[in-house]
Amino acid sequence: MLNVTGDLPGDSWGIFTFLCAALCNLPALPALNCSEELGAGQSIQQTYDLTRYLEHQLRTLAGTYLNYLGPPFNEPDFNPPRLARAERVPSATVDLDLWRGLTDNARLAANYRAYSRLLCYLRVLDGQVGTAELRHRLAHFCASLQGLVLSIGGVMSSLGYPLPAGPAGPPAGPPGAPPAPNDFLKKMDDFWLLKELQTWLWRSAKDFNRLKKKVPPAVVTLRLEARGF
Amino acid sequence: MRIWGRPKDSGLVESISLLALHLLEGDFAHSFAVPGWIGLALPCVKMANPVPSACCMVLAAVVVVYAQRHSQPDSHTQFERVGADVTMKCGSMDWDAAVTWTVNGTDIDESHLNGSYLILKNVDLSQSGQYSCYEGSAWHLKYQTTLKVGTPPREPVLMCRSNNYPKGFYCSWHLPTPTYIPNTFNISVIHGTKEMVCEKDAVPKNRCHIRYLQLFSTVKYKVTLTVTNALGKNYTTVTFDEFAIVKPDPPESVVAKPVPNNPRRLEVSWQNPSSWPDPESFPLKFFLRYRPLILDQWQHVELSDGTSHTITDAYAGKEYIIQVAAKDNDIGTWSDWSVAVHATPWTEEPKHLTTEAQITETTSASTSSFMAPPTTKICDKGAVVGSGAVAVCWTAGLVVAAYSVLFI
Repeated sequence: MLNVTGDLPGDSWGIFTFLCAALCNLPALPALNCSEELGAGQSIQQTYDLTRYLEHQLRTLAGTYLNYLGPPFNEPDFNPPRLARAERVPSATVDLDLWRGLTDNARLAANYRAYSRLLCYLRVLDGQVGTAELRHRLAHFCASLQGLVLSIGGVMSSLGYPLPAGPAGPPAGPPGAPPAPNDFLKKMDDFWLLKELQTWLWRSAKDFNRLKKKVPPAVVTLRLEARGF
Repeated sequence: MRIWGRPKDSGLVESISLLALHLLEGDFAHSFAVPGWIGLALPCVKMANPVPSACCMVLAAVVVVYAQRHSQPDSHTQFERVGADVTMKCGSMDWDAAVTWTVNGTDIDESHLNGSYLILKNVDLSQSGQYSCYEGSAWHLKYQTTLKVGTPPREPVLMCRSNNYPKGFYCSWHLPTPTYIPNTFNISVIHGTKEMVCEKDAVPKNRCHIRYLQLFSTVKYKVTLTVTNALGKNYTTVTFDEFAIVKPDPPESVVAKPVPNNPRRLEVSWQNPSSWPDPESFPLKFFLRYRPLILDQWQHVELSDGTSHTITDAYAGKEYIIQVAAKDNDIGTWSDWSVAVHATPWTEEPKHLTTEAQITETTSASTSSFMAPPTTKICDKGAVVGSGAVAVCWTAGLVVAAYSVLFI
């Protein structure tokens, strides 16, 4: 505490000094804290980039996997009807106006829930698949997908939204679904799983584009105020 | 023509019979219709009693219609394939009747006739026209037909594209070769189990558009186009994912301007295509290509956002050609290239025109066509660039003079 003679009362001067010291030390704060304050804007961008990366990875993975399943699954024109049992895989399909009108929370929550469940299914797939190469690719993809789920969770937290409840840990099996009665139907399930995953990644790119435009500036000022500076 | 004159002193039935006989003989033009009906109906109207009058009217109508049907030359249209053999019969005339055939008013030589049948072998497109058959020397028109020679349709070409994602998409089609006869097109769009309606556009005619009801669909769209004409039908199908057909229109209002005091820069700006409905949520990225007119090699720049770019490595004083293309940030394919714009970077205005002109006249000019970026080089006697270069020249000149003195 400085002893200063002058007109300023001691307390005010002390506060003033404290503020100066704090402001001087601000640049020295660890980078992690700074990026948190830069906020959701940057993590949305990172999540967006992650979806693009995963989409690219999926292309190779899907090609390999569909070849492993064999025809007709690996034919480009294969366009089977959607069976009722396939409905348990979360669908990205949504009414246009509904999608436009989603709140940020709803939009993020939909993504979070979808990828969490898709991750479960993929992990089950990983346990059953034949070749070592496929297992390796699947494992790598699952790890990246896990990263995406965490990233989305991070964005939600930084924006102050609660994480949706759901299967977080490694599951025993796909929630509440009967196993496929025969080999062909099992392969159909796998086909639809990959299709939905691909569609979700395309949708997420659009979801995060929308979020990018709407979120950053307000959040930054809010966070600084909350810190008490 | 005495039909409309009222026959005198004959009963009703007699007058109707007389009329009918005239009609059946068929010696009138096909434009009989109303006057004949009036002529026939007049005697009926003259009757005092209403009930028999009404019956008479009905009878008259039946007679007229029957007569018209059976005495006028039938007007037909027939479609035949190119290369086919066509046999035309002269209506209900017997094979051995004496007839004359004409095509578009010109007589046809008897060598083409087989009795009263007209035989056309291996028809080609030039043989399309109106064929008429006349009986004997009286030239009663017995039969008339319009022959249209064409081909059955070949497999049509169908293309679907979404230039206004996420609103919807359009499909357009055409026939690879003409059929020369009228065709009808029928398009069906199936999405999973649902059949969607593709609304036909007024202009251009061979196009229809569809609105997306749902976005991010995993189920493919299957579009089938069927072409039908009198000689056959054909069809084609395309199947695609919602994302695969996204292709924006090229960017609009591309403008390239020189930058003052910067001889190597060009400022390019453009706008999103007006057909793209929502660039905020569905941003576009751009691809710019540019080259000086005198070179063939393009230079490329990809821009992930913004609708302007400054080229900083233009060759000074050269005219450039610049184009821009657009693509959705994440899905689909690149648009076609925009309209090309031309621009030349800013060049310095020559300041002292008179004095410089004199200097260039006296020295032998050998300026290179490319004004390379300023580097210090041993200058040519003829090149006049600036005060710095002049100093170098002088120095070089002095050195050369010194050497010559030493070695001579």
